[in-house]
Amino acid sequence: MVKPIVKSIVKSLAILNSKAPYGSSAGKDALDIALVFGSFEQPVSLFFQGDGVWQLVQGQNGAMVSVKDYLKTFAAFEFYDIEEIYVCQASLIERNLADTFHIEAVQVLGSEAFAAQLTSHHTILRF
Amino acid sequence: MFIDKTQIEIILVKTLAVIVTTPPYSNLSVTALDYIETALKTGVEVIGVFFYQDGVMHASTSVQIASDEFQYLPCWQRLYNHYSLPLHLCITAAEKRGISDEHTQNIHPIFTVSGLGELVELSSKADRMVQF
Repeated sequence: MVKPIVKSIVKSLAILNSKAPYGSSAGKDALDIALVFGSFEQPVSLFFQGDGVWQLVQGQNGAMVSVKDYLKTFAAFEFYDIEEIYVCQASLIERNLADTFHIEAVQVLGSEAFAAQLTSHHTILRF
Repeated sequence: MFIDKTQIEIILVKTLAVIVTTPPYSNLSVTALDYIETALKTGVEVIGVFFYQDGVMHASTSVQIASDEFQYLPCWQRLYNHYSLPLHLCITAAEKRGISDEHTQNIHPIFTVSGLGELVELSSKADRMVQF
């Protein structure tokens, strides 16, 4: 009989952001989860892919379309120990976006590295 | 014998948590209910279902689905009665959508009013968490 190898798995959460900001509340809903997990000292990583990469673009102003600018809160990530932030390079290239973002410490990854990093997490939630 | 990572994970899933983020009129509700019921029947302990985003509409007593369409509430009711399945409702998401225990009182009694802290609790207790 094969004994299952029981490792002490750290239950890390990956939040995959796939929608542009302001058009829906998906980004804000994802942010709320990230901050709650952060404040309970649970490891959480953020991933931005597809239209989700628009959430990292500099110089946006939600107030112009009467949406609460939740993107400002991204600046607080370090206080919640949210340090693993990854963005899909292919999604940036497809949208002709530069790899300069409104927060620091964002890592741009190629498709394979992005997928490998994402699937190394215990749980993935997609918004 | 070689066991890959996926197989090991399947062996270890004894407790399951589910997060429902899609509205009841989405066909994913049927998939979620089937998934949960199958898990329960095969002896997996489903420690809770968390309703978030449009998923909170599952708890509303005001939603009317045409009688010839899929009725999800009796299904949740059956799982709740049969297995004491905990059904947690994110109240912030619910109130945004007119579902409240304070003003309108249209939350079905099988649902427990909760917050995102409960999601942290479920995720830390469950071997696996699945989103629908």
